Amino acid sequence: MKKVKKVNILAILVFLCSIFWLMPLILIFLNSFKPYNDMMQHFLALPKSWSLAMYIETWEKFNFPMLIGNTLLYTVVTVLAIMLMAPMAAYKLARTKGKASGICFILLIMPMMVPFQSYMISLTRVVAKVNLTGTKMGQILVSIGLCMPLAVYMIHGFVKNVPIELEECARIDGASSIRIYFSIVLPLLKPILTTVVVLDTLATWNDIITNQLIVGGNARAMNIQNALYMQFSAQTSDWEHALPGIVMSMIPSLIFFIVMQKHIVGGVTAGAVKG
Amino acid sequence: MKKKVVAVLLTAAMASTMLTACSGGSSDDTGTESNTENDAEESDGEEVILKVFDAHAYGLDEYAEMVEAFEEEHPGVTIEVQHAANDSSTLLQSRVNSGDIPDVFDVESGTSAQAYYEYAYDWTDDTDVTSLFNEDALATGVNEEGRVMSLPWTYENMGLLYNKDCFEQAGITELPTTMDELEEACKKLEAAGITPIALPAKETWVLGQLATHFMLDKELGAEGTSDALKSGELQFADLPHWDNLFRFLDLAVEYGPDKPLEMDWETSENMLANGQAAIIHMGDWCQSTLDSFNPDANLAFLPVPVGEGEADTTVLSSCNWTYIVNKDSEHLDLAKEYLTYILTSDMGQYWMCEGVGAVPGVTTEKEVVGALANDAKTYISEGKTDGWLHTIAPTSYGETCGPYLQAYMTGDMSQEEVTQLFQDFYTSGN
Amino acid sequence: MRNKKAKNALLFILFVVPAVAFVLFATDIPFVMNLYYSVFDWNGIGKEMTFVGLDNFVKIFTNDTLFWKGVTFTLKFAVFYVVIVNILSLTVAVVMSKERKSSSVGRAFYYVPYIISLTAISLIWKFIFGPGFEALYEITGWEFFNWSWVGTPKLAFYVVVIMAVWQNLGFYMVNYIAGIIAVPKELIEAAKIDGANSFQVFRKITVPLIMPAMSICMLTSLTFAFKLFDIIMVFTKGGPANSTVTVAYNIYQEAFVRSNYGLATAKSLVFVVFVLAVTAVQMKITKSREVEA
Repeated sequence: MKKVKKVNILAILVFLCSIFWLMPLILIFLNSFKPYNDMMQHFLALPKSWSLAMYIETWEKFNFPMLIGNTLLYTVVTVLAIMLMAPMAAYKLARTKGKASGICFILLIMPMMVPFQSYMISLTRVVAKVNLTGTKMGQILVSIGLCMPLAVYMIHGFVKNVPIELEECARIDGASSIRIYFSIVLPLLKPILTTVVVLDTLATWNDIITNQLIVGGNARAMNIQNALYMQFSAQTSDWEHALPGIVMSMIPSLIFFIVMQKHIVGGVTAGAVKG
Repeated sequence: MKKKVVAVLLTAAMASTMLTACSGGSSDDTGTESNTENDAEESDGEEVILKVFDAHAYGLDEYAEMVEAFEEEHPGVTIEVQHAANDSSTLLQSRVNSGDIPDVFDVESGTSAQAYYEYAYDWTDDTDVTSLFNEDALATGVNEEGRVMSLPWTYENMGLLYNKDCFEQAGITELPTTMDELEEACKKLEAAGITPIALPAKETWVLGQLATHFMLDKELGAEGTSDALKSGELQFADLPHWDNLFRFLDLAVEYGPDKPLEMDWETSENMLANGQAAIIHMGDWCQSTLDSFNPDANLAFLPVPVGEGEADTTVLSSCNWTYIVNKDSEHLDLAKEYLTYILTSDMGQYWMCEGVGAVPGVTTEKEVVGALANDAKTYISEGKTDGWLHTIAPTSYGETCGPYLQAYMTGDMSQEEVTQLFQDFYTSGN
Repeated sequence: MRNKKAKNALLFILFVVPAVAFVLFATDIPFVMNLYYSVFDWNGIGKEMTFVGLDNFVKIFTNDTLFWKGVTFTLKFAVFYVVIVNILSLTVAVVMSKERKSSSVGRAFYYVPYIISLTAISLIWKFIFGPGFEALYEITGWEFFNWSWVGTPKLAFYVVVIMAVWQNLGFYMVNYIAGIIAVPKELIEAAKIDGANSFQVFRKITVPLIMPAMSICMLTSLTFAFKLFDIIMVFTKGGPANSTVTVAYNIYQEAFVRSNYGLATAKSLVFVVFVLAVTAVQMKITKSREVEA
């Protein structure tokens, strides 16, 4: 009896606290309906009206369909490319011993330790060298490169726990390495891949800085967060457009997370990870 | 298992098509760019893209109108503006490094602008353009050799701003001109239930700007003072009004909000516009924000009472932003024309006077919309203003020295320590 | 035999090189370029650079109190952050990994801050520490709601820790949930039949088996802490009185505010060497505790 009660108290506490994590969503939503002055004066209050006027204005002013198109393109291509390359690299590196493997692994995960701000300028120079400044291609290539290290690292850690026996059996049966990877290894990686997909999708969707640096002045290649961020400066803030914009840009990512998290949980139980 | 393989293969296929699709798309992008280069050489009637970098987020609607009008007058010309109001210097720096230097761009005048002058077109001989500007405005874009390397935007004025209604409510009839009078005023305001001073002390740049009022030696002028401070001729400890800076900060803590260092520019402007606070330190650039909070607010400049009386009080005025034309621009003439257009034409004056609500650096007949700018105009015309010191200070003045003043306000540093750090900052650079 | 070797090498190239190429392009090459800039005095803008040899490095070690202040802050932050965020997210994950309807809602709640853009987050926190705390003070009368958290150098540290934990907890939670769910139910049931209580089950069975997830969370939280930048940039701006300057923020300021790009790159090199050393040690420790599955 006592045992059950203890767990429940913890559960109740965790659930109660979750409201504290949800709160920003509520506050942003409420304030997206307020005029600037009302927001500053009564941030915690309910809005006076629930007019969608600012949402519509923001949608049109910022050319949201184009922004969503760009952001979607960057996100989808980046995530697909990561999904294709990161598990391959992680798997091979985890299964190969030797110098080359070690060096590649270090090259791949070293960026996790380096503050982005320290090589921003050099990065823009590299991108300029290959004539990709201001292009969507440049944005995509950089964003794949920036998402790769964490993805490889996380998958690498997971591959090490995937039993090698299955692969050996398949090899004896005459399956090729590529076949083994796609039909045996990859399905086993599903839980961690789902986590990585969620992670990289949100990172690319919410990216501001790479878009600013790489795409810069090319308004046609901007993504949502950058376009909204441009409305702020050290001495002006356009919250009246920014908050509706943020709410609109968040809806897809929120839905995406809710759908995917079922797979994170469901995926593992269905998967064949050995204890 | 098979299903999963199919799914994976499908994903891979999709990825590769997406990649080719987007590489196709982006090669289009680069394609148009290289085309325009060729076209520019061949004839003027074809597509030309002029790349503009603008560091403001003021009067954006009017700016867009202006661009439209320019494009109409110049068929085939597209103006591509990056409004990078946030982290503007970082972004400009990265564009310069990627070799993607905008044809027209603006930077803060003074120390920051100097770094970009090696890319700047020299306007000295274009007297038909330079003669349109006020002389003191033009002077903000001159390099060490006296060449005109950039053109001024608008005058910006800064000092204390006060809410007239609050003063009236508290029964203050005369503007304070000394620290003692200011303290008296604060007492009255507090008694009337108004926060007397809402200094945005969270912003290091505001504190940096504030301190310059107390550095100024009116005899030497802004530039003279700055040079004397840098050379060490003038020592911070000997500055006649310097002590009053600390007196003012004490007042800002005592008569300020409960959490003085949490006050950011947005909240402080909001309190002023709504009559919850009576005095802040800011400039007329915040007019549009103040208007959006409360268009009926009754606001004016309060010259900073740095010394012994009215003669010592300061409002600092300067053309803070300056526009540069890239001298290596592929469309140099067009870039020059565009810059002249936005800074001097009727449309440009409309943008600055009405959209931004500031007094342009170009001589103008137009009415200026902003109430604060008009208020400052009276001080300017009476010759009571001085130039800005913080823009011609050593690099990163506000970001470096602002925190010292914060440390004084929290009680972590003494006046002597802060003074010494200011001194070191000014003289160590040379 | 040789054929097989060549085939293996080819496979290795096919599998690994694409990923490496992207990382080389986006990070490794730019970072190596920093080695070159670090021996120059360069403002990051002009065409001219002056070769200064190792002067930048000498400057870092002899005359840069703000950088070392940043290092101290970052280290202290790393300790607090790694410990707190891992304990909390693991606790939440334990509760949220139970299969019930409310769990999926709760998981989404905890993940919300991770989804919201940073500009909005800074706005929210400004009002929480401002009017929010004021309201709480009026209701509860507890003195600490009346403190100026953001405006006091000592307290600002905890503001940064709280914000960082709050923002990222969802990420670690998801990782831990994935780990916990992979623990075979039979094992737990068997242990329970043997009379172990929930805590014992957690301690003796769950923890060892989620070590892989834990080492991922440990390393990612550690590297996040070392690179902490965004929260500082949008919220505290390093203040008040430079009390929340992190290394990354200091490097950023050196490069873009103080216009010493050469010095900034030198700082980043010094710091990366340091971080690599720390993470290597950390990886060794967690790896040795990982249970071979």
